Amino acid sequence: MSRQEMSGRNTSGQNAARTTLCAAIEGFTFHGGSGPALRGVEIEITPGSLTAVLGGSGSGKSTLGRLLAAWLAGGRDGVLRGTLQLAAGGRQGEGCPLVFSGTGDDPRIDSAAWADHVGYVPQDAAAMLSAVRGTVEEELAFGLENRGTARSEMTRIVAETARRTGLTALLERDPATLSGGELRRLAIGCAIVTGPGVLILDEPLASLDPAGERTVMELVRDVRGRGAAVVVLSQHADGLTRQATHWLVLEDGAATAAGPPDRLLAGGSLASSGVVVGGPPVLPAAGAGSRPVAAAAPAAASGPAPAPGLPPALQLEGVSFGFDANDPGSPLLLKNINLDVRPGEIVAVTGPNGAGKSTLLRLFNGLLRPLRGNVRVAGKGIAGVPTGVVAERLGLLFQHPHDQLFERTVQREVIFGLERLFGQHASAKAAAALAEVGLDASGGVHPHELSGSGQRLLALATVLAREPAVLALDEPTVALDAHGLDRLTAAITAAAGRGAAVVLVTHDLAFARAHAHRTVELKDGALVGC
Amino acid sequence: MVPRLNPLTLLAAAAAVLVMTTAASSWAVSLTVASGAVALAAALGRARRVLLAGGAILAPFWLSLLVMHGLFYPEGRTVLAGWGPARVTAEGIGFAFDMGLRTSAFVLVLMLFSFSVRVPDLVAALATLRLPPQFGYVLASTLMLAPIIAVRLHTVRQAQESRGLVVEKGLGSRLKAVRLQMVPLVLGLVHDAGTRAQALDARGFRRAGPRTSYREVHDSAAQRFFRWAILLLAGAAVVLRIVASASGGGPA
Repeated sequence: MSRQEMSGRNTSGQNAARTTLCAAIEGFTFHGGSGPALRGVEIEITPGSLTAVLGGSGSGKSTLGRLLAAWLAGGRDGVLRGTLQLAAGGRQGEGCPLVFSGTGDDPRIDSAAWADHVGYVPQDAAAMLSAVRGTVEEELAFGLENRGTARSEMTRIVAETARRTGLTALLERDPATLSGGELRRLAIGCAIVTGPGVLILDEPLASLDPAGERTVMELVRDVRGRGAAVVVLSQHADGLTRQATHWLVLEDGAATAAGPPDRLLAGGSLASSGVVVGGPPVLPAAGAGSRPVAAAAPAAASGPAPAPGLPPALQLEGVSFGFDANDPGSPLLLKNINLDVRPGEIVAVTGPNGAGKSTLLRLFNGLLRPLRGNVRVAGKGIAGVPTGVVAERLGLLFQHPHDQLFERTVQREVIFGLERLFGQHASAKAAAALAEVGLDASGGVHPHELSGSGQRLLALATVLAREPAVLALDEPTVALDAHGLDRLTAAITAAAGRGAAVVLVTHDLAFARAHAHRTVELKDGALVGC
Repeated sequence: MVPRLNPLTLLAAAAAVLVMTTAASSWAVSLTVASGAVALAAALGRARRVLLAGGAILAPFWLSLLVMHGLFYPEGRTVLAGWGPARVTAEGIGFAFDMGLRTSAFVLVLMLFSFSVRVPDLVAALATLRLPPQFGYVLASTLMLAPIIAVRLHTVRQAQESRGLVVEKGLGSRLKAVRLQMVPLVLGLVHDAGTRAQALDARGFRRAGPRTSYREVHDSAAQRFFRWAILLLAGAAVVLRIVASASGGGPA
């Protein structure tokens, strides 16, 4: 639908207009790209349907999602050949197809008018927000304000959207203070507030705890129940994508399989795709996660457990922490934590969003200091020791690679700080770490140009290269496709094999049970199951 | 908090005070305005933030003024002390003092304004003036940039410390750390801006046509009258100053 054709829109906040979106992409190449990011991809999205676009990291899922939502445009962002057809009345063939031939005469899509019909929520939910609105309700209203919606109508729609997304109690909150799950729901709310007939969600369950996953899945069901179509872009064959009516599998930008999930799972079409295939679907029920939890999987940790009696590589003694150190009466986030992790041992820490798992890891290397108690790394207390010095013995993988990567090239990123540790051997150590995660051919690439999985693996390489006595990994499986998970597993096993203690924080219970020697849960400020 | 005052009223008051301070061109007026801003900040419970932010800007400014004009003021005649070409003159000290006080008044009033106004309210109020929405967005982004930069800088520093960066107390170590943090800070902000631009487009930010505002900003006839009155007063002060200058007089 071109700029001239857009007029009608649905801002009722109730039922979505029945919308059909069809795309036949012969090829899409980013300006400056070495080859097509997408080729030979066809998709038809019908009212009320749930379509899953599956593929490994870098397979072209997000590019397809952004093209469908007009976040990427032929001409402006790259060369597009193919057709897009949007029928907002629900009858296929109603809208004229937009034909792109990769020339200057191609139609130009008004992304705002397109967004009235096709909403898109990026994987990084924070990128959806305007960043200049002080409360959740103002952020929800931003799109309506820009469309000139009357205030009384806006108030009604914002209240209705907040109810649907479970944000009613948070309307007055500053968006910057929301948890990951709340932020994801707000981003979805911002996309559905104008009542689009098609909603595209990019990795909507990433980093969410079971409760957060359940909320998003219920929201998807609600959106579909109102007649809207939902497209989920994911590298997981999980509880959400297994509910899809249709799967489209991408590999290196090309469609390699399409059809009903059961047929594709039975036919082995996902084998080389990088899609993470878990167990059978888990229906969203209270207290259960949507990701396939390998409940029956044996606790087959990476290698044998270390012999008892070794002095701990990491030791926490009576550690308590709260963010308001000046107020002794303020509640503590972590209370009297005791934890010993021996060399060669892999310990998984689980727990709900906001339980303090990331905070716990930051106490290991002194980025945060305990209010009470002691932390010892490789037998030495870290009280009063600068984080940069503790880093010689403990490597920390941050939750978001975005927070960890700051250099101009992959090579520079890994070698940062290594000279101080290894002198003239720094380059060799950096090369070995890059080879371990499969990025040895990407040394000259800018870290932001890597796929999500690639960025995560690069961040892991920066930790591995330092060969620390303790590895502290915050959600290491997030954003990794099946190939990336294999690399991660091999790296953790190798590190433990050479005697490093590994502590990994994760929501991926299946991964924890399969690869950790023991799993502990952080709940209500205490570690359970030590 | 100043809950019942329209942000435009605060803006008009701050602008008028600054214009009148400039027009008066008097150290006594500058000192009074600066002191008044601090007193008002204290009454509103914001003295610490205003003084810290103002101090961070003003301390190096005062230092450079005293060095430049205190030691090397060309028109200085009354020499208080001298070391070769560097001469401390009464005129130089007086000029530096006058400029410093005037700038202090400016900075402290603007700090008080920015810590008193709720930025989204200011944007909503500006929208009622039918200014382009891009103007309000740029203003809001600018006013909200400092905390965003602070968070981002903190993140970059944590990442670097976790990989062996030790920031010691010396100036050299701190400068080296700042240099290491600047490139990732700027690159990160540019990257964030790029992705945000696509989201803003999709959410209709560049859309033509009428817009509405979700947030109702309180206003009243009395406040509207006050805004006109104080801006007229500021205009009158400028006229008076020009007339006084033309006639060769005016306040010292």
